[in-house]
Amino acid sequence: MTQLVTLEGQARPAAPPAPWRLIAGERPLVFVVDGSRLFGVEPEFFAALQEERPEAQQELLGAVVEESRQRDFAAGLPEPAAISLNIAQSCNLACTYCYADEGRFGGAPQFMPLEVALQAIDRLVEGARGRRVTVGFIGGEPFLNREVLYGSVEHARERARAHGCTVGFSVTTNGTLLNADDVRLLRERGFAVSVSLDGGAALNDRHRRARNGASGFEAALAGLRPLLENPGKARVAARATIARDDLCVAERVEALAAAGFIEIGVSPLRTGPDASLVLRDADWPRLLEEMMRAAEQEWRRVRAGAGFRFSNLATAMKQLHTGSAKPLPCGSAANYVSVSAQGGYFTCHRTIDDRRFSLGTVDEGLSGWRRESFLQERHVDRQEPCRTCWARYLCGGGCHAEVLSAGRSGCDYIRGWLEYCLRFYDRVLRERPGLLGVEVV
Amino acid sequence: MEKIFPLNLTAQAAKVVPGNPVTTRLESGVGNCFPGLEYDHRNLDRRFFPGLVFEFGDVTGAPLVRVDTNDPDLDPATFEGLPADAPKPAVQTALRTALNGDPGKALRQGSWVLASITQGSRTITVTDQPGLTVWRLVRSLDPGPVDIVLTRDAGTPKKISLSGWRRRFVSTKTGVISGAFQPGELTQSLCSPWMHDFRDCACTYWASNHPDIVLAEQVPGADPDPVWEETPIDWLRSDRALARTAAAVGTEAGNRPAQMDHYEINERWQDLSIVLAGHEVSNVFSARQAESANPFASPDELAQKLADLCELEHAVALEYLYAMYSVKDPAVAKGQALKEAVAFVRHEILIIAVSEMRHLRWANQLIWELEQHAGLTTPGKKFGPSLGIAAQVPGAKGPRKPDLRVLDKDTLDDFIAVEKPSGTLDGAYAQVLATLRDPRYPPPLEQLAARILADGMEHFTRFREIQRVLAPFAAGNPPAYLQTLVKADAKSGKAAFDLYQSIVADLRSAYALGDMEDAASIARARATMFELKAEADKLASAGMGVPYF
Repeated sequence: MTQLVTLEGQARPAAPPAPWRLIAGERPLVFVVDGSRLFGVEPEFFAALQEERPEAQQELLGAVVEESRQRDFAAGLPEPAAISLNIAQSCNLACTYCYADEGRFGGAPQFMPLEVALQAIDRLVEGARGRRVTVGFIGGEPFLNREVLYGSVEHARERARAHGCTVGFSVTTNGTLLNADDVRLLRERGFAVSVSLDGGAALNDRHRRARNGASGFEAALAGLRPLLENPGKARVAARATIARDDLCVAERVEALAAAGFIEIGVSPLRTGPDASLVLRDADWPRLLEEMMRAAEQEWRRVRAGAGFRFSNLATAMKQLHTGSAKPLPCGSAANYVSVSAQGGYFTCHRTIDDRRFSLGTVDEGLSGWRRESFLQERHVDRQEPCRTCWARYLCGGGCHAEVLSAGRSGCDYIRGWLEYCLRFYDRVLRERPGLLGVEVV
Repeated sequence: MEKIFPLNLTAQAAKVVPGNPVTTRLESGVGNCFPGLEYDHRNLDRRFFPGLVFEFGDVTGAPLVRVDTNDPDLDPATFEGLPADAPKPAVQTALRTALNGDPGKALRQGSWVLASITQGSRTITVTDQPGLTVWRLVRSLDPGPVDIVLTRDAGTPKKISLSGWRRRFVSTKTGVISGAFQPGELTQSLCSPWMHDFRDCACTYWASNHPDIVLAEQVPGADPDPVWEETPIDWLRSDRALARTAAAVGTEAGNRPAQMDHYEINERWQDLSIVLAGHEVSNVFSARQAESANPFASPDELAQKLADLCELEHAVALEYLYAMYSVKDPAVAKGQALKEAVAFVRHEILIIAVSEMRHLRWANQLIWELEQHAGLTTPGKKFGPSLGIAAQVPGAKGPRKPDLRVLDKDTLDDFIAVEKPSGTLDGAYAQVLATLRDPRYPPPLEQLAARILADGMEHFTRFREIQRVLAPFAAGNPPAYLQTLVKADAKSGKAAFDLYQSIVADLRSAYALGDMEDAASIARARATMFELKAEADKLASAGMGVPYF
């Protein structure tokens, strides 16, 4: 926000953050920023609030605004309960937009030695002190380093048993290398499997191809089909990246659902090696339109009794229902850290081998001090222009890695989407409350 | 129609629900710091059995104080829509009928007590148990079916059995406290602030903001009198004139006559002082030494100062330990009064010495944090671990060389001088604390330094107390409380000295690792300390002290 200067040349104090957001609609809503609390209000009262009548504002203040409590949110940080192991900093695909430099992470291909993985797992389990832990496998393509993946899973189970905690697993894969044993492992160990696929064959293969040019879609589905047909204890989700050359969303969700996925999420491309694919200012309003079109498509299914499958919407519903209010965009450096192939701790998988995000090594342990200062600096209340944005505790200020490399863009898109989701939530609450776990009285 | 209605869960949670007073919220309760002081827990259990109210107090057993047929648990509507919580309709009907009928009528006459409780296959007879024991047993009942028997000494019938259920005190659906509890009932036996029942608290369990004993007001700017600073006074004293304030005596009955009476508290509650850091504050709070000390200029300077402080802590810990053995063993001291005095003094000195050892460990931790963990000191410069012995220590007559001495008057004066508030040690840690307030230092370091500073104040008080206890036995040369103790020569003291050296070596290797400390070395050092104690006891019985330096 531009700082205003008075005639005397004194800097004016910055405007205080707005305590609420008024959302017009069939049932007028007031979203109170502190505590992410959503209230319905009577239409006449809403009109008075829109006209900024002091008595109405006073009445709302009295009813909904609590004294905000200052929390030193990063002090006394517990050890993370989740890690991702970058077991293969290499990939068999060469996706044009990959943040990891087509899977190479800006350097020569590297594979994590087993001992590094085991050491990281030991530290995770010990640090968690009985809390449930999650071990994620990530790359590049993790199944290029199958032996370490299998060894890590068994070791983590054994260590968790010894420490009396439970362990969950996740993997982000392109699915192209899965064999029968892999499918069995994913099923039996209840993996959360996140598959990178952008949509149907044509859309997907535009950017996701093997190095020899072969279709990434066909190869992925060949590997994934047995798992999609019978996932066992696994949960299989698709995650589509939206580049600016095709902003459609509904069609991607539809195609991936047809391929057998029950959870499908999309994510716009904000940074990448090919600047022509990265979304620009003019693209955001169009993407918002596409997101809302996909959500309306979802609503028709949901109203007819189906469950959610468009995970951007499902996650938003869950967070809005519980009133999630977070000072950070994600758990990175707090409850989650990532380990590079060489055993360095980084704030997340997006920041691997970037020294600015280094948090120590598995040999020496995580630096509590660095984690704390990293998080303290990034509290959304200390960010501009986030500090005064009504959506700051829902958004958290945007991906740390992306903000650093590309700044904050598409904020209107995020606010537009969240406002749409708030309206959507009200719709669900009235017509399908069971989806939110709310009992119908 | 309601104007504003909550939709999502956080909005619903923020809505004030009728039934639960605002004081039951965590953020508004003293329970933030002292869980349990939001209400008297016994008041929940007094209504454990629907329709009846018991009392759990100082008397034997649990007397029945009231029959309450308006209890919502007796109303079938209370359990509508709550199948998991509901008592069986037949049980509820039977209990309601009984309490509205002859048994209820009988229970309203005479003195009934709870005789037994049955849940599942277990029956416990509680008639002759102390009231608080009965409460403890009632407390352990699970929600669900319960049978009870009540008895009385006179009248007919003498015994009534009832089948009911352990109440759910809080609705599992809404979190609202049962409507059976009347306003004020849950807090009725608490000593609420600024009310005259302050005088009548029977549990003597004050929270820090309503203390019974406090330290006197510190006058800003004045040079503090260390004795006055540490003298406990009665917070409820009626005469508030500073000049006439006397130390509180050790018993409640002793202080009673000087305290405000009930109605005086109602009228003059505003005279009761706010208490901050143990001291009364009647005016605007003004920072004292710890807050106003000058910070060190750099992490290097801070680390160096801490290394020096470690050596000082080490030196005085050894001086104290040595002096402790010069005080007569209670087993050989003659006369009950002397026996008690020397037992007390030895115990106190040991506590202070152990506390100094802990400071040695914490100060080393601070160095490690600065040097290794946060990496704030100049790379290549090494400050810790610091386990040497200071060349000079503070004394009553100025700096002196550390010395192993018996606990005579001069030694005790020196010890008091070391620990004096605003003295050398205290002042140095105040500077450390002031430095660590700078945000570039990780916050836990400041807390650690603050703990050392707070301990120092306590050492001073303990030495003053030792001086007071020894005063009646101080006449004579040597005084009656002392035993002969000379520093053992190299040969006789070798075993003890070697043990001490090995402790230092183990601590050095453990402290070098900071909070990643080497548990084996610590465990070994601890075990060796026991051996050293045995060796020191042996030497002392031969009139010799351990030649630490």
